Amino acid sequence: MSQDQATLDAVTIDDSGDFSFPEDYQHDAGTGLNEATLDYISDIKKEDDWIRDFRKKALKIFNDKPMPTHWASKDLENIKFQDIRYYLSQGQKPTRSWDEVPDDVKQTFERLGIPEKERKFLAGVEAQFDSEAAYSNVKEELEKQGVIFVNSTEGLREHPEIFRKWFGKVIPTGDNKFSALNSAVFSGGSFIYVPPGVKVAHPLQAYFRINAENFGQFERTLIIVDEGAEVTYMEGCTAPKFETATLHSAVVELVAMKDAKIQYITVQNWSNNVFNLVTKRGLAHENAEIRWIDCNIGSRLTMKYPGVIMKGRKARGEVISIALANDGQHQDTGAKMIHAADETTSNVVSKSISVGKGRSTYRGQVHIPKHLKGCKNNTECDALLINTNSRTDTYPAITVRGNKHATQHEASVSQVSEDQIFYMQQRGLSEAEAMSLSVNGFINDLAREFPMEYSVELKRLIDLEMEGSVG
Amino acid sequence: MSTTLTKPEMSAHGEWVSEPLRRDVGAELPDWYQQIQADSWHNFLETPEPVRKDENWRFADLKKIRFERINPVGSLNEQGSFVERFRSNRVDSAIGHCLFANGHLIESDFSQLPDDVIACEINEALANHSELVKEHFMQDPARLGSQKFAALHGASTLCGVFIHVPKNVVIDGVIEIHHVNSGENTGIFPHTLIVAEANSKVSVFENFETAGKGDSPITVGMVDLDARDGGKIQYASFQNNGPNARHMQINASRVGRDSAVKNCFVNLGSMWVRNEAVSRMMEPGADSQMFSANLANGTEEYDQRTLQLHEAQHTTSDLLYKNALYDDARTIFSGLIQVGKGAHHTDSYQTCRNMLGSDTAEANAMPGLEIDADQVKCSHGSTSGPISEEEIFYLMARGIPAERARRMISLGFLNEVIQRLEGDDVKEFIFGKVEAKFRAI
Amino acid sequence: MSLKIDNLHASVEDIEILKGLTLEIPKGEVHAIMGPNGSGKSTLSKVIAGHEDYEVTEGSVTIDGEDILEMEIDERSRAGLFLAFQYPHEVPGVSNANFIRAALQSRLPDGEEIDAVAYYKDLYAKMDELEMDRKFTGRSVNEGFSGGEKKRNEILQMMMLEPKYCIMDETDSGLDIDALRVVAKGVNAMRSPDRGFLVITHYQRLLDYIVPDVVHVLYDGKIVKSGEKDLALELEEKGYDWVKTELAAA
Repeated sequence: MSQDQATLDAVTIDDSGDFSFPEDYQHDAGTGLNEATLDYISDIKKEDDWIRDFRKKALKIFNDKPMPTHWASKDLENIKFQDIRYYLSQGQKPTRSWDEVPDDVKQTFERLGIPEKERKFLAGVEAQFDSEAAYSNVKEELEKQGVIFVNSTEGLREHPEIFRKWFGKVIPTGDNKFSALNSAVFSGGSFIYVPPGVKVAHPLQAYFRINAENFGQFERTLIIVDEGAEVTYMEGCTAPKFETATLHSAVVELVAMKDAKIQYITVQNWSNNVFNLVTKRGLAHENAEIRWIDCNIGSRLTMKYPGVIMKGRKARGEVISIALANDGQHQDTGAKMIHAADETTSNVVSKSISVGKGRSTYRGQVHIPKHLKGCKNNTECDALLINTNSRTDTYPAITVRGNKHATQHEASVSQVSEDQIFYMQQRGLSEAEAMSLSVNGFINDLAREFPMEYSVELKRLIDLEMEGSVG
Repeated sequence: MSTTLTKPEMSAHGEWVSEPLRRDVGAELPDWYQQIQADSWHNFLETPEPVRKDENWRFADLKKIRFERINPVGSLNEQGSFVERFRSNRVDSAIGHCLFANGHLIESDFSQLPDDVIACEINEALANHSELVKEHFMQDPARLGSQKFAALHGASTLCGVFIHVPKNVVIDGVIEIHHVNSGENTGIFPHTLIVAEANSKVSVFENFETAGKGDSPITVGMVDLDARDGGKIQYASFQNNGPNARHMQINASRVGRDSAVKNCFVNLGSMWVRNEAVSRMMEPGADSQMFSANLANGTEEYDQRTLQLHEAQHTTSDLLYKNALYDDARTIFSGLIQVGKGAHHTDSYQTCRNMLGSDTAEANAMPGLEIDADQVKCSHGSTSGPISEEEIFYLMARGIPAERARRMISLGFLNEVIQRLEGDDVKEFIFGKVEAKFRAI
Repeated sequence: MSLKIDNLHASVEDIEILKGLTLEIPKGEVHAIMGPNGSGKSTLSKVIAGHEDYEVTEGSVTIDGEDILEMEIDERSRAGLFLAFQYPHEVPGVSNANFIRAALQSRLPDGEEIDAVAYYKDLYAKMDELEMDRKFTGRSVNEGFSGGEKKRNEILQMMMLEPKYCIMDETDSGLDIDALRVVAKGVNAMRSPDRGFLVITHYQRLLDYIVPDVVHVLYDGKIVKSGEKDLALELEEKGYDWVKTELAAA
């Protein structure tokens, strides 16, 4: 077996993640959402009063805020908040060894290839099963350098001095209806702290798995990278295909201190009945860099607009986004770039592919307020339509104040044309191969931004999605 | 307080007009039109005020349309006094022209137009060409946010011109419609209706200005352009009002088979401008060109919303909006290309360019695409930035002083739009006015 | 052993373009088809390759006795048919080298991999023959290529895929004389007893460089005249009207 093939096999996740194990939960908050649900979660986690209050305030905000359907998809109205189970777990303490993970959970992650990836190229892994992490481990040498990589429950308990300082500061509870929901019922997610000057060479990986039907997953991730430090974090996710819709609503906050670098990579492959409504934002201090590499292939409706607030001089923000919307899917993604200091630069490159009756939407916001100088934004969004009934929309909003900045936005829509496919078929490629080659050609330059192992996986996932899309 | 309660049908701050702004126009208006007026008034009362949450009003400063009151214009003999000095301020070589003062027709000369062309004042047209006007009048509802204002327009006494160009008639030269308005918060409702039948061609230039710097007319205009079977229309609106005016124009183009419509806005004046333009490409071969050149300074706010609506196969459209901004000026461009189901082989472009000339000017751009068809070529682009320092350097290296270089480049920036118009006389007229405003900045 | 077209009728949107075309190209021969605009030249190449816009209403096309009309486009290609396009399509983001490699890979049985070293050696040698710069391997297929570069790229693919029958659809259109010479050199190098060529052209000029064994005249969807290479010269001299008058007289 060649080296390439070995790597490919190592990172290959199960085609659809479409399998589940019988439910056997020690803790179950039941169906529906009210203050008692929050108390149940707090009691189990033995949380301090300030978190209890935080949750309850958030619930109030969530209840008060209307659905954003005046601009977003009406499909949101199909979420039945009272039919969802908000907390399910088999215990709160993740193990540090796969041997101690309960068998069915362990089997799940083995089928998804996580332990193998960990051995091969990861610096640390957290594996979340429904509401809580089942496994969490970071390489010893990193631990010695002071790198913290735990789940958010543990982060709150063990490192309140760092956690509390930044928690909810990048994304306030009331940012939107779903950040409020997450703030009320959050559980799981990662807490990472990288001390000054520490450059974590290998990626840290989190894997989020929904196993139970009617379950809502609300992980909360907070990553703080101190002065001059660097980290790459990757997250993957899957869920079985249930009859009823499932909700995933995460909040991810990143803080990059002076000269720090954070790269956050997502390969989202939820089954196509998951509502994936996620708020992600980073705060970049002086000369810091935050890059979101965001790839959305699964889910029924994804609404996600990763953002960067460039708070310090010369801070940089970037969003690289690939979305693939197939039949019955709406990928509503984009980017939010808030320039809040001089000489800050942001870059957005978004490519979407709409297949069958799939719909992809780009929404962007670029904001450059007055009395700043030397800010730059570049945005490119390209959409590829595969079939006659595929749909794509682009809605950017760019505000520039003052004459010392430059912004540029370009978008285009193109097709894989019949003649292009004909040409390739004439050379002996099957229609599906021709289509796959064209689609991969379309995203080629972006796929290169992924670590090699992941770009191979990405290509495979896209090929899977493209199967049967022609004809 | 109590007055608001006695009028429960009024919206929260709908005090600004309590009854339709109508006057006797000396013509018998047809029943169907009187019905439109009545329905429109009803709609005006029913339609809520724009709110910021409305995507069509995103970024807009709604305080600018919190009108205290819209006042009726006076009678004809109260106008006229200031008209004389505006007679010369028009495109000299126009083949037909007319002059309105506060909505009253002061003079018109359409005698040079080919015999079978109809060109007459809109109320006269309503009375004398009722059926023809009915077929084209306000056929498309306002859909970019100004429904309430369109309803007010429909309910009020209009001024303006109806032009009908029959089959195969090509009008060589431009028809000018000139409006001079005055008074405090006077409501002016211009309506221009242009119909180009098969293989005909017409060019119309509409010129808006105020009598004095202190005048503050509130204009709510609508333009219907209807080109069919190879008909061609160029419509250019030139707005050079004083700094207290508020100006709104809602344009709708219906473009038929192999037809072409050019719709252009040039804005130099007014404290607040709202231009809405919808182009519907309704049959194969339809082509729409929309462009706009705007020079905003002081605290002017120019708010422009567009929609390129491709409804049939093999249609094309192009849009270029350019804003030069100085001082505390604000511009908003929101444009959407919408390619409907089955509108395959659409070719559509949209570009907005903002040149910011001060540290406090603000440009907002929302270029949008909604594509629901196949074999489509669509793209949009938007840039915002200062004048290129390299360009200034280049000109200076050739011996041109910095200030002049700056002005030349800015003028050139807007001139790209002006040059897209047909008719040297129109281009020269607009260019001269733009240059004059640049000098004043 | 031949590419055989028998009584072929084909139409586009219910308009019949080919009206009973019969033609046989044995291996080892070069046949040229000439014809005025609108005679059905380009339709013929697309129909043989299997383009979906064209509907075959009657007749057959076989390769070495095997009916290809029921085959998919790519199956025809793998059966040994190569079409050099008049307007080669661009494939953004897909490099030339990967594209040709994928085409070659599609001809191998499952599980068998192309030897990358041998592949590049072969590719570079053929590019040298066609005087193509190495940078074309990394560039996207036909994207930003000049007219001449696109045609060379077609010949390169032909040389790499080693088909049994090649159809050259107006390969000479838009080529200057130097490019034409290089393209012809590539084609001539591929002439062999195991391969047949159908060269479709509007101009006799190409046939000075690729000398045909047989020349056919296509008019109104049918072959109306066949002869030796001199027929091309005669056509060039007398023009297509000559054929029309002759037909009218007959």
